[in-house]
Amino acid sequence: MQATLTVLPRTPSLAAPRHRRLFEAAVRYTLLGCGLIAVLVAGLTAWTFFAGSLPFFEKVSLGEFLGSIRWAPITVPEGYGTLALIADTAVITGISLLVAVPLGVLAAVFLSEYCSPRLRSFLKPVLEILGGIPTVVYGFFALRTVTPWLQEMFPSIGFWNGLSAGIVMGFMILPLVASLSEDVLYAVPRSLREAAYALGATRGEVILRVVLPAAMSGIGAAFILALSRAIGETMIVALAAGRTPAWPPDPTQPMMTLTTTIVNIATGDHEATAFIWAALFAIGALLFVVTLSLNIASHFIVKRFRELYE
Amino acid sequence: MSASSQLAAPPRLRHRHRKSGLFAVLAAGSLGVGVLVVVLLIFATMRESGALSSMHATATAGLALSQRAATNGTESTPYVSIAQVTPTSPAETLGLAQGDALLAIGGNIVRDVREVWATVAALPANKSTATIAWVPNLEALLGELELVPVAEQAGTFRVRLAYVGTETVAAKQGLRDGDVLLSANGLALHGSQQTWQAMVTAARTNNAPLAVVLERDGKRKELPFRVQREGELPLDRNLIAALWRFVTSLDEPRYPEHAGLASAILGSLLVVLVTILFSFPLGIAAAVYLEEYAKRTRITSVLQVLIANLAGIPSVVYGIIGLEIIDRTLGLGRSILTGGITLGLLILPVMILGCREALRTVPPWVRQAAFAVGATPSQVVWYQVLPYALPGMLTTMILAVSRAIGEAAPLIMLGAFLFVTYLPNGLMDTFTVVPIQIFTWATRPQAGYETIAAVAIVVLLVILLVLNGTAIVLRNRYQLRW
Repeated sequence: MQATLTVLPRTPSLAAPRHRRLFEAAVRYTLLGCGLIAVLVAGLTAWTFFAGSLPFFEKVSLGEFLGSIRWAPITVPEGYGTLALIADTAVITGISLLVAVPLGVLAAVFLSEYCSPRLRSFLKPVLEILGGIPTVVYGFFALRTVTPWLQEMFPSIGFWNGLSAGIVMGFMILPLVASLSEDVLYAVPRSLREAAYALGATRGEVILRVVLPAAMSGIGAAFILALSRAIGETMIVALAAGRTPAWPPDPTQPMMTLTTTIVNIATGDHEATAFIWAALFAIGALLFVVTLSLNIASHFIVKRFRELYE
Repeated sequence: MSASSQLAAPPRLRHRHRKSGLFAVLAAGSLGVGVLVVVLLIFATMRESGALSSMHATATAGLALSQRAATNGTESTPYVSIAQVTPTSPAETLGLAQGDALLAIGGNIVRDVREVWATVAALPANKSTATIAWVPNLEALLGELELVPVAEQAGTFRVRLAYVGTETVAAKQGLRDGDVLLSANGLALHGSQQTWQAMVTAARTNNAPLAVVLERDGKRKELPFRVQREGELPLDRNLIAALWRFVTSLDEPRYPEHAGLASAILGSLLVVLVTILFSFPLGIAAAVYLEEYAKRTRITSVLQVLIANLAGIPSVVYGIIGLEIIDRTLGLGRSILTGGITLGLLILPVMILGCREALRTVPPWVRQAAFAVGATPSQVVWYQVLPYALPGMLTTMILAVSRAIGEAAPLIMLGAFLFVTYLPNGLMDTFTVVPIQIFTWATRPQAGYETIAAVAIVVLLVILLVLNGTAIVLRNRYQLRW
């Protein structure tokens, strides 16, 4: 018996041709590379501050850096205490939040609870455009318009002062607070509101006692982001707040924040090897760590808020 | 009790409703205040920029003005000095020269530079010339003076005309070499600069000749001496021409009326170009990888949190990174390239976040359908996902660019320069950008710089308004609803 060999027709391979697979891999790894550059930037940033401020902390103790009020990097003997700078930053930040948070949250309440959809679709872009105004422009407003107004009301206020910078910064951050809070208020489920209305609550009571408490953690997150933004704001304070650290902090007089100090060092005429550059990194690292942790905290608060209601 | 009175709201409830209404008003008012205050500030700035056309008028007439003060004992009177006269300009033709004092425009006395521009602005709109009054500078007025010590009192001097010549105002009005000037309109004269300044001060108060008391050949004599000169100066107050000259001329460190925004505009353009070339491809690629390729692992979620929060780091901190890594470590110097890459790093997280958001709006069934007909991952991304995500990505890109245009803090760190009086000539040149130019002008003490800073702000805000408006329209028009 003769064995018959049946030759089956070759089935076409389902796998993509070789050159195509190579191409796909190339695309994939190129994209991965680009993603890695973004990571690399983050890593390099952290490393720059770590390595840059090491020589500083070899000479100046952390306690002196954070606890002394004497900031005098170019006089002899030098002083590298940032407490006065931190206090000035805190005061200006506080003033700006006093303006931005109440106005911003109330504006958000209006946008999400009272406003007709038509008006809302007009007002949101307006806020967005106001939020896109460069900070140097806000600085000019503070220096040229708001400070003269304040001086008319209170003649003792200096040409440079923390008050005007803080108020204008508040209006700069307001769109940010308003739009973040609005997102949060919008996300509060309808069922909560309807339950409150069913119990006979007025509109104001629904907002004050139900919606706002439910959204509190999200508004807190907006507050933290606003805080981080105010701490890192540079151009307004560099223009309007002056360049003299004030201790005790007095907002009617010139103040110097951490960010202004950085600008001062960088624009000053210092040798490239001078120790003052190390101080620049130390202050930069302080700002970096503080703002990054505030942002991350805010991020997780919002995430928890979303998980609660979605 | 009737049924109707039972149905009316009890007082307690009315009170609650009123409170609710008050709260609504409060909320609306807050938003109103937030928007109005900023709009008001913008208008205040626009008003301040209004002096540009008058500054253009004096500048194109050929004048550069500066503020001086005439001191007489303890008294100090401000006056406007002509610091420069452009050769072959109308002002030179009229006979104005460096060092002259400008007294009045159109019959209105001007005491400081701001007043000059306010007066020019207030001239009737149909007039293209104005009568100006001025006092020629010391040499043209009195020739050469010498100080003669007073014999009895050490340290006090008298002023004697040493060389009057023939062309000076003094010579034409009968003063001679050797005359000792004692007083003008009652102001005692005892120094050469002081004599001229006293005459300027006296001439400003009225238009009549000064009564000068002098000693000639040992005898006292009073002489009328007209120091003022008058002439018609053409003044071009065309706002369009003023703006055009402003955006096309270079910065001027002393005379704001001659300063312009050209180097800052070109600098901004080049920096943003570098920023776009650096951050757009990187940002889009990273977003596509994270959204379309990467598996959802712990690492990618950590990455996501990190990128989201890098977007909130203060911009001045990015300036330090630019200074240290790009300028010093990579050795690119404080150039346009460094500035552009620094801003690129700054907007990279924003780009990645926004592009991911745009990719996420494309529903999964678009991808599934493409895979089902045999497309490879790159084909799915290129032919299906990206076209749908494009409007969202464009919005992100425009917003990121407008952020980069307005950013000043990181570039100040790079020393983007305070006095750039040349056009950048390539990517390795030092540079300035519009926000930094605004910062520099706002901090200069001379009158007039705040005006051109305000004009620069208006220019910048118009550019940003157009960009952001386009982004918003794009988003609203092309936002796909699935």
